[in-house]
Amino acid sequence: MSDAFPSFAGELRERSDEDLALLFSARPDLITPVPADMTALSTRATSAPSLLRALETLNQWQFQVLEVCAALADPFTSKEVVALSDPAAELVVKHLHKIALIYRDGSGYRMPRAVRDILGNEPAGLGPQSASPIDFKVIKKAPEAAQAVLNKLIWGPPRGQVGDIRKKGTPIEWLLENNLLIPIDTSTVALPREVGIFLRGNKVHQELMITQPQLEGPQIRNADIERASLAAISNTLRWVEELMNFWSEETPNALQSGGLGVRDLKKASDHLGVEENCTAFVAELAYLGGLLCVEADGRILPSTNFDLWQNKEPEEQWRELVELWKLTSRVAGLVGRTESRNITALSTELDRSNAALIRALVLDLLLANPGIAPTVKSAQKAILWRYPHRRGISITAELVEWTLREAEWLGITGGNALSVYGAKFIKDEDSLGINSALPKPVDHILVQADNTAIAPGPLTIEIARMLSTFADIESRGGATVYRFSESSIRRGLDHGHSAEEIKTFLSKTSKTQIPQPLEYLIADVAKKHGKLRIGYANTYIRCDDQAMITAILNDKKLEHLNFRQIAPQVLISDTESDETMDELRRAGYFPSGENSKGSVVNLPIQKRSKSRPKPPRIIGEITKPSEQMLTAALRTLRTGERAAKKKPVGEIPRTTANETMDLLNEYLGKGVSLRIGYADANGGVSLRIIDPLSISLGTLVAKDHATNAVTPFKIARITGVTTA
Amino acid sequence: MSDGPLIVQSDKTLLLDIDHPLSTECRRAIAPFAELEKSPEHIHTYRLTSLGLWNARASGHDAEQVIDTLLKFSRYAVPHALLLDIAETMGRYGRLRLESHPVHGLILISTDQAVLAEVMRAKKVAPLLGAKVDDETVTVHPSQRGHLKQALLRLGWPAEDFAGYVDGQAHDIALNEDGWKLREYQKLAAEGFWHGGSGVVVLPCGAGKTLVGAAAMAHAQATTLILVTNTVAARQWRDELLKRTSLNEDEIGEYSGSKKEIRPVTIATYQVMTTRKKGVYAHLDLFDSHDWGLIIYDEVHLLPAPIFRFTADIQSRRRLGLTATLVREDGMEGEVFSLIGPKRFDVPWKEIEAQGYIAPADCVEVRVTLTDHERLTYATAEQEEKYRSCATTATKKNVVLALAKQHADDQTLIIGQYISQIDEIAADLGVPIVKGDTPIKEREELFAKFRTGEVKCLVVSKVANFSIDLPEASIAIQVSGTFGSRQEEAQRLGRILRPKADGRGARFYSVVARDTIDQDFAQNRQRFLAEQGYSYRIIDADEVLPR
Repeated sequence: MSDAFPSFAGELRERSDEDLALLFSARPDLITPVPADMTALSTRATSAPSLLRALETLNQWQFQVLEVCAALADPFTSKEVVALSDPAAELVVKHLHKIALIYRDGSGYRMPRAVRDILGNEPAGLGPQSASPIDFKVIKKAPEAAQAVLNKLIWGPPRGQVGDIRKKGTPIEWLLENNLLIPIDTSTVALPREVGIFLRGNKVHQELMITQPQLEGPQIRNADIERASLAAISNTLRWVEELMNFWSEETPNALQSGGLGVRDLKKASDHLGVEENCTAFVAELAYLGGLLCVEADGRILPSTNFDLWQNKEPEEQWRELVELWKLTSRVAGLVGRTESRNITALSTELDRSNAALIRALVLDLLLANPGIAPTVKSAQKAILWRYPHRRGISITAELVEWTLREAEWLGITGGNALSVYGAKFIKDEDSLGINSALPKPVDHILVQADNTAIAPGPLTIEIARMLSTFADIESRGGATVYRFSESSIRRGLDHGHSAEEIKTFLSKTSKTQIPQPLEYLIADVAKKHGKLRIGYANTYIRCDDQAMITAILNDKKLEHLNFRQIAPQVLISDTESDETMDELRRAGYFPSGENSKGSVVNLPIQKRSKSRPKPPRIIGEITKPSEQMLTAALRTLRTGERAAKKKPVGEIPRTTANETMDLLNEYLGKGVSLRIGYADANGGVSLRIIDPLSISLGTLVAKDHATNAVTPFKIARITGVTTA
Repeated sequence: MSDGPLIVQSDKTLLLDIDHPLSTECRRAIAPFAELEKSPEHIHTYRLTSLGLWNARASGHDAEQVIDTLLKFSRYAVPHALLLDIAETMGRYGRLRLESHPVHGLILISTDQAVLAEVMRAKKVAPLLGAKVDDETVTVHPSQRGHLKQALLRLGWPAEDFAGYVDGQAHDIALNEDGWKLREYQKLAAEGFWHGGSGVVVLPCGAGKTLVGAAAMAHAQATTLILVTNTVAARQWRDELLKRTSLNEDEIGEYSGSKKEIRPVTIATYQVMTTRKKGVYAHLDLFDSHDWGLIIYDEVHLLPAPIFRFTADIQSRRRLGLTATLVREDGMEGEVFSLIGPKRFDVPWKEIEAQGYIAPADCVEVRVTLTDHERLTYATAEQEEKYRSCATTATKKNVVLALAKQHADDQTLIIGQYISQIDEIAADLGVPIVKGDTPIKEREELFAKFRTGEVKCLVVSKVANFSIDLPEASIAIQVSGTFGSRQEEAQRLGRILRPKADGRGARFYSVVARDTIDQDFAQNRQRFLAEQGYSYRIIDADEVLPR
């Protein structure tokens, strides 16, 4: 490089392999995919998306130091940065260099144009640099009104609007005269950067946020944390199971626009006995885990994965869901909000790109503060220090709050402090110890005279499934209270269990004797149940009781079904059998269906989706590259460099559009000669040597060495650029 | 994980495993703050309610104690949110206090200005309050004390009442424990009430609630107004008080349809209190006629609406409610609690039975299959006539007659709802009948004869549902009732629960027509007793009818 100062790409080229490896692991997007050579690397490193990513890795202190760097003119030294901030900044400057937000120039540093652009013209609220010399002593002599103007502008924004800056006898006039303000246009003035820094007491920031704010909150006893966390873990697993079973019975339909309707959400919340935001969270959790499926026809059904999941040990069940929760970009907390429209659970509007990042930061924060139940405010403060950046509309603070709330629901925390299970999970330990800590499933129930049965603990799946077909759940928690009623028994018979089966099951499972009234209840319902049988073949009804056939035939309420009697004991109808069945039940009969062979057809016990589960994809950050990837990336780059160097002089340069723009920008107006390949109107490419002057409207204005005239070049026709 | 007897459910019910060795200890510990909901054979259900938690605060328990108790006895981990909720609920109690001020009279005070401002803005509360004294104090119209407390309770900011009770006019009353002793639970009930100031005591029928009343009077040592359901009950109260206390005949007055005596201890009937003359409750003045130190409401579950309203006005007098079955099909239990006072004592029926103070009972549901003709009549009956149609069938009557004959040697009560039906039964059996139009004197004579055994079988209408003390009755046959009333069923069983001299058990028959609405009602009626651990046995009428 022949210039007075080194280029960014040049400095990158000189970095050691170790330094590059460090850079890549801090900014993995630089090698995804691996760029062809160092020029391409430098272009990518100064592209806006990559820079935004890099800025997001900075905490508030690092960002402040970056702002101080931006306030200084190139080149600047570490010492100058320290002078304007704090001695601790020296380390940060090194870090900024490491991640290539600044680059080295001899003993000092420079900041690439693109980084300055992203930080804006007014870093830390400081105005533009003054072109004229400033006498700081004059400030003390400033009249009071002028002083007041300065005071207003000290901490930014550094610009101020006045009627007309040329008006005589105003403090503005005095300040302009003394170079303490810079005119921007006829009605705007700005405080020069030097004056701003001087007035700020030779600092850039009012307050330096060198360390992360401490988490505040009560210290919780370990025993309490563990208790609360275990209760939460078993609750969450139960909620998921309950919700899936509920939706198998009462299947909701997704809205036209996708997602779970508000009414269905409310219904499910009533069923679970929790707040709606909690239900939305549970539904999202099941969705993530592929335990439910939104069918093509809109029905939201549990998937076969749910059956597999149910058969796993609680720890595995929990871990599976929590892993996904940690990684997902979906934010259940948004459900119920109104942005452009109502955001609903299971809809497509829940993705937020930094959700997983914030979640990980919160978990790390909890891990670093064992036993403390942080207040939401203090956690938000700490996370906002760690991640001060805003991408679009920021919901960082809310994300922190929701993460804490969800962590409590999941049992990662107990009483809001990190539990031992949560800690083991974050550290990715093999065994979390949940299985041994949760109560063992019980395989018996206690049937009581008031037609209730109590399972004094979590029931084994087989028993719970069977029991719930013919008993209604009355109360949930550590134990489950079931109630038997006429309708619940009827449901059991509908599911294909016989009265005898139900009785045998109860006497086998119950530790207590079956009360006689319950036996009567079962027998009574069974006696009435299934007296009528309905089939598919154009819907027929047959019944041994001719009187009943006659009754149905003459039933005014059933007239619209148009029954015809085809035999003394058989009726047929053209109506669909389902509808017929419903109508008959409504009219007070107890029919049951039968198939062509004459045996009773059972309703399927639990509905399952037939499609393959398609859990929502995870929009994540680019993962940290492995050792191997780093080496491979370096090798590619170095090879690319060597190949580039071998290019013979006289060959028409070829660069990518990005590189072209980058190089042109870099040398614009610096009086440096460049070689470019330029395609004429016919497509023939020729080599030109030019001095670039300016760029506007897709056109490069440059002095062509061949003609020695200033000529416009269409940028789109430039095939490549290289230094002459 | 501890292996405690208690399971805390997420809907705030507590399940107590009574077969667990620690169950008794646990029951004692949770009784102050959790309400016993039902007590069947194995698992008793308690419920945590705001009211219960506030009552616990009122009697000096704090949230920490409650939470510690739950954690100590709980079998499984208790959800954190539930504990927070308990702490939060209990924290609301006592932010507002009712006090007597030497200058301003009754005042409402709060150290939390925001709370005071909130309740003062509430529409239901504002008219009950007087002038604002300062930022933390507002005066209250003394007559609105009860209404205010009720309204604040509904807002979720219960006021702690430090305004105290008036002592009333002093009157010497002592228990006359001669040859008998107050039972342990009666003593606990009376003390529980006295320390709480006002409230309801729930004890099973036949467990001696009158004596709890007498013991409360002995605590109060003041003039007492006793409100009872009917005249016969009034006389039983008088007899019992004469026998068990130092009171003599001149000190006890009866205020009923026939007599209007006002004495230091006055027993009045609900009926006379709610009698209206020209649209005005003529006898409600009785509440003010004396400086009563104690008002006892017998069978408080039957408290009629006018008395409810009036009771709200006399919040400075001590009030004791007595009942066996605080279930009202009209859902007014909450009103009873807020006006008379919270539940101060409750004990499962089966526990008293185990102690031998009430007779064990065998409940039998006799299922009757109606004849085809009866079924047809039933099927075509109008909706509102359906119950009557199936409850009064001839088939049912035959079963009742057969049962009565089977128990010819036992003291038997036959209870029914429909007068024509019970008239017929009485005539067929040739036994006397007591119904609404039977004069008091005749009723008393018949009951006396029944007690001595001169009359073995008695047919009664619903007038005998409550408060009729017939110690030797051991068989009850219920032929029809007030639809699905749970408390009626329990009260009727209560008639035969007095322990028998020879230790016999009691038997309660409920005759039910199969496959009719009668059977549905029976199921609802039996719920209260089933929840108290009484298991019904079902038999078929064929087992009863002579072949």
